Amino acid sequence: MIVDSHAHVDEVPALGWIDPASSLVSLMDQAGIDRAVVMTYTELPAVNPSALDYLADQIASYPDRLIGYVRVHPWYPEALDLIERAFGEFQMKGVKLHPVGNLSHPASEVSLRVIRRAAAHRAPVLFHCGDEALTTPLQIAQAAEAVPEANIILGHMGGYFHVDEAIEVAARYPNIYLETSAMPYPNQIRRAVEVVGAQRVLFASDGPGCSPRLEVHKVRLAGLSASDEEQVFASNIVELLEAVKPRL
Amino acid sequence: MTIDVLTFVGQSVFGYGQSAEELLARLDAADVERAVICPVKPRAYHLAAANDAVAEAAAQQARLIPLARVDPNLEEDALRELDRAVGTLGARGLFLHPWEETFRVNDPRLDPLLAHCAELQLPVVIATGYPWLSEAAQVGDLARRFPSVAMVMTHGGQINISGLGQADAFAVLQKHPNVSIDTSGVYRQDFLEDVAAELGPERLLFGSNSPRMDVRLEVQRVRWLTVDEASSALILAGNARRVFRLDSSARPS
Repeated sequence: MIVDSHAHVDEVPALGWIDPASSLVSLMDQAGIDRAVVMTYTELPAVNPSALDYLADQIASYPDRLIGYVRVHPWYPEALDLIERAFGEFQMKGVKLHPVGNLSHPASEVSLRVIRRAAAHRAPVLFHCGDEALTTPLQIAQAAEAVPEANIILGHMGGYFHVDEAIEVAARYPNIYLETSAMPYPNQIRRAVEVVGAQRVLFASDGPGCSPRLEVHKVRLAGLSASDEEQVFASNIVELLEAVKPRL
Repeated sequence: MTIDVLTFVGQSVFGYGQSAEELLARLDAADVERAVICPVKPRAYHLAAANDAVAEAAAQQARLIPLARVDPNLEEDALRELDRAVGTLGARGLFLHPWEETFRVNDPRLDPLLAHCAELQLPVVIATGYPWLSEAAQVGDLARRFPSVAMVMTHGGQINISGLGQADAFAVLQKHPNVSIDTSGVYRQDFLEDVAAELGPERLLFGSNSPRMDVRLEVQRVRWLTVDEASSALILAGNARRVFRLDSSARPS
């Protein structure tokens, strides 16, 4: 079984990204991916107040294939209510934060209150973690240190130039997980497994922009043992999401 | 036929490296026939020795196509080394690494080098996407000043895992027909498909960035693109033949 820990469903004409659930699902079929965690490109409540209803609607077309994460803008206090609604009403399982989009430092108080709320539900928080300001592993690690009960996933595990650093902070903080999407180094997936253990490495594609088939191929090129590969491809994320409590 | 336009041979002071034999084994594992080889910055810092090493590797193995690497900070010495690498060693183009040598790619100090490349019809491969030094817009500025020099921006013209530099890379390709990109490590395969569809498959060259990146993954990134067969053949080899003038046996004079 393969479960993709980070993929997208959204329609953003300003960016030219028109990716309804059907686009992703056909690529999942091609790649042999059974289920995917999906989130919008846009945030709630700004810039897209209807993002939650849109995402829930799209997931409803493929209830056995797609699992939602709510993507919020930490500046807005109502983000906390939106998390409650996403988990309680729509059975979503996690929170996505992308500091490039919302200019919120991962360890700023506004971000921490979102992370604490997710942690209260035992829900993971997926951060975009690349090479840009506000998204580096050391910046996100400050949030992991401030809320040790939160499970924090470093999406892209540091991008192009911060992968070593992502592995280093994951080795230091047991609540940090590494996620494989888009970053181009199969050997770093293997090293992540060796250094922090297979149980904290998660396969993801960042599809449909990134090719899910290529992203699966990348993990296979890492040359993991069969049991480590199984954890990375499926059981780690399944276990994380099973722990989520829809209501406090 | 598949030709990889971005590989490195030698042991870099920055901790990466491979021998020609190791590279050839990696190419074989990915069914790649030929490769353009760039010198690394060696531990002793002198690029001349690295130019000698790739020339020697290429002399022993016709599958390998050598480029010259110079440090533009050395000004007239860089020009002399380019001449030596092309005239004596048979280099088929110039490789510039603004990050590892630390220079701004559109610094006017590079003009004599680029003018020489124009004279010799030498293509220039530029390690692109490094902040402040080789952003796509800066390469575009250089391309504007030297429109007859074929330039290849590595990594699709940007290195940002959100693709934040892709609008600039696309704009540079659109504005400067002498610029193309290699495919190594490109975030979002649909960027490559968009370039092929809107600007033509002639603007894309398969490159792996071995040994830092993995030839097996990088070649699959291209083989699985949604483009027609003729476009795929251009991206995998035809464009490399054209840009590096592989069908011409004559060395630039």
